[in-house]
Amino acid sequence: MGLGLLIGVTLSMAGIYRGMVEDATVLIDGSGADIWVVQQGTLGPYAEPSSLRDDVVRSIAGLPGVAAAGNAAYLTMQVGRGSTESRVLLVGFEPGRPGEPGHLIAGRPVTRGHYEAVADEKTGMRVGERVRIRRHDYEVVGLTRRMVSASGDPMLFVPLKDAQEVQFLKDNDALVNERERTAANPAFNRPGVPGLLEAVQASQAQSRQVNSVLVRLAEGADADAVAENIRRWKRLQAYTKAQMEEILVAKLIATSARQIGMFLVILSVVSAAIVAFIIYTLTVNKVREIAVLKLIGATDATIGGMILQQALGLGLIGFTVGRIVAGLWAPVFPKYVLLLPGDAARGFAAVMAICALASIVAIRAALRVDPAEAIGG
Amino acid sequence: MAIANDMPAIRIQGLTKRYGSGDTAVDALKGVDMTVAPGEVVGLIGPSGSGKSTLLKCLGAVIEPTAGRMEISGEAIYDGGWKLDDLRALRRDRIGFIFQAPYLISFLDVTDNVALLPMLAGARNADARSRARELLEALDVGHRAAARISQLSGGEQQRVAIARALANRPPVILADEPTAPLDSERALTVVRILNGMAVKFGAAIIVVTHDEKIIPTFRRLYHIRDGRTQEEAGEGRAP
Repeated sequence: MGLGLLIGVTLSMAGIYRGMVEDATVLIDGSGADIWVVQQGTLGPYAEPSSLRDDVVRSIAGLPGVAAAGNAAYLTMQVGRGSTESRVLLVGFEPGRPGEPGHLIAGRPVTRGHYEAVADEKTGMRVGERVRIRRHDYEVVGLTRRMVSASGDPMLFVPLKDAQEVQFLKDNDALVNERERTAANPAFNRPGVPGLLEAVQASQAQSRQVNSVLVRLAEGADADAVAENIRRWKRLQAYTKAQMEEILVAKLIATSARQIGMFLVILSVVSAAIVAFIIYTLTVNKVREIAVLKLIGATDATIGGMILQQALGLGLIGFTVGRIVAGLWAPVFPKYVLLLPGDAARGFAAVMAICALASIVAIRAALRVDPAEAIGG
Repeated sequence: MAIANDMPAIRIQGLTKRYGSGDTAVDALKGVDMTVAPGEVVGLIGPSGSGKSTLLKCLGAVIEPTAGRMEISGEAIYDGGWKLDDLRALRRDRIGFIFQAPYLISFLDVTDNVALLPMLAGARNADARSRARELLEALDVGHRAAARISQLSGGEQQRVAIARALANRPPVILADEPTAPLDSERALTVVRILNGMAVKFGAAIIVVTHDEKIIPTFRRLYHIRDGRTQEEAGEGRAP
């Protein structure tokens, strides 16, 4: 049972890694984009901060090969739900354009320009629920499934303008202070230029920034060619789907993957040590039986085979228990745990190999047993 | 293997065993003589340290005597040295062993425990299992043929151990304190079974024992003292 639980933990660790990769893939696929346009020199919008003016989208939409382009803003934050809070990835999107939530499993899409939201079911929110984001209450009008950030936080989709306000606008006190600071600056408050101060202050009270422009390609368009076009003529960074997957899997979750890999190595070593200890103890406790077997004519190969059979049987039972418990506790994990049949098959092969190796110590001990020990006191 | 009725199943002449050498040498056996006919059950008794276990180990070909001669069914297996290259095969095919505890293999079922020996000797699986079931029937444990060892009572396990000892039809069976942990009734039952099997299969059975309950059942006894055997007539009471 103990070995089974340990194998269950090992399988779950592999499942957590697969879940992270799957989350990254879902994040890319769920956005409905073929190209991500971000601030030059950044790996945005998921791996690094990126800031673009929201009018860039118009010039990109007019490029050859682009079917549609939409602004998107991303912000990880705490959202108030009554007396509790949920951590979400707030996504600002433009309805009908790339970046909007995919298939809804309940409710309806966002139809109003402000204060409506579509939430991933993992937030635990219900259709009709009201959630607090910064200074405003939003009504959850729809639910999606498997729309999470690369770090596993469920997404909450709101209209772009709302997301821009949440992400870039300052609070009232900060605005008042900023106005006074601007008014005290002679460059913006010239006696001979009426209206300048008001214009500057108005520009400070609104945001025109987004994190990314998501591009959907026209049928038959070459993603690399369009991305190169954007890089060359718009002086912005553009990533294709393959490049974005590379960023998320190879860079964003690489450290976590190495961490999990280390855990897998340690767990494998611990499992091997436990199996070796169990088999060795079982063997040492059966010295008399082994002596009897040798006495009645069993060959070393037969005895070794029996011990190996026991070790493999132990591994089989441990793996079965481990696979069952991993499946049972996977939904309880806060992050997505994806148990792939291929990983289970590889895990099974590894467990059997570890058990076979671990039995070597016990087999060596058994082969040293003298058949004469079977006779007499 | 055919067993000639006029030929002893086992004959030992002048068997000695010395442990160590020089001043520290110990003579555990000092010229043992013993003859047991096919179908006969004899007792080997003696106090602790008298050489019973050493004699049993020599008979079982797990330690080499120092001198003397041993024959099984007329064939010399030891005569100043082993006469056979493969002592493992000798133990497997021509000597059966019964111990104080059954020492059965817990992860095999009853039939496989018995069939293991014929299979080790090269018998086909089906033949070995068929022979095992036949023996289990003869020992009144046929109905437990498919059971796990842990599901058997102590008496049933001992019967299975006896069936295992008989599985390759050996001419000689060595029983090392087979009744030590048993009460009188069960001890006498085991002796009854051994007597029955000796007659049925023509095996010579040497029972090493301290057990006062079963000593009166032997017709012939070998008393071993200080490494020497002395043949005595037993009471031969019905067990």
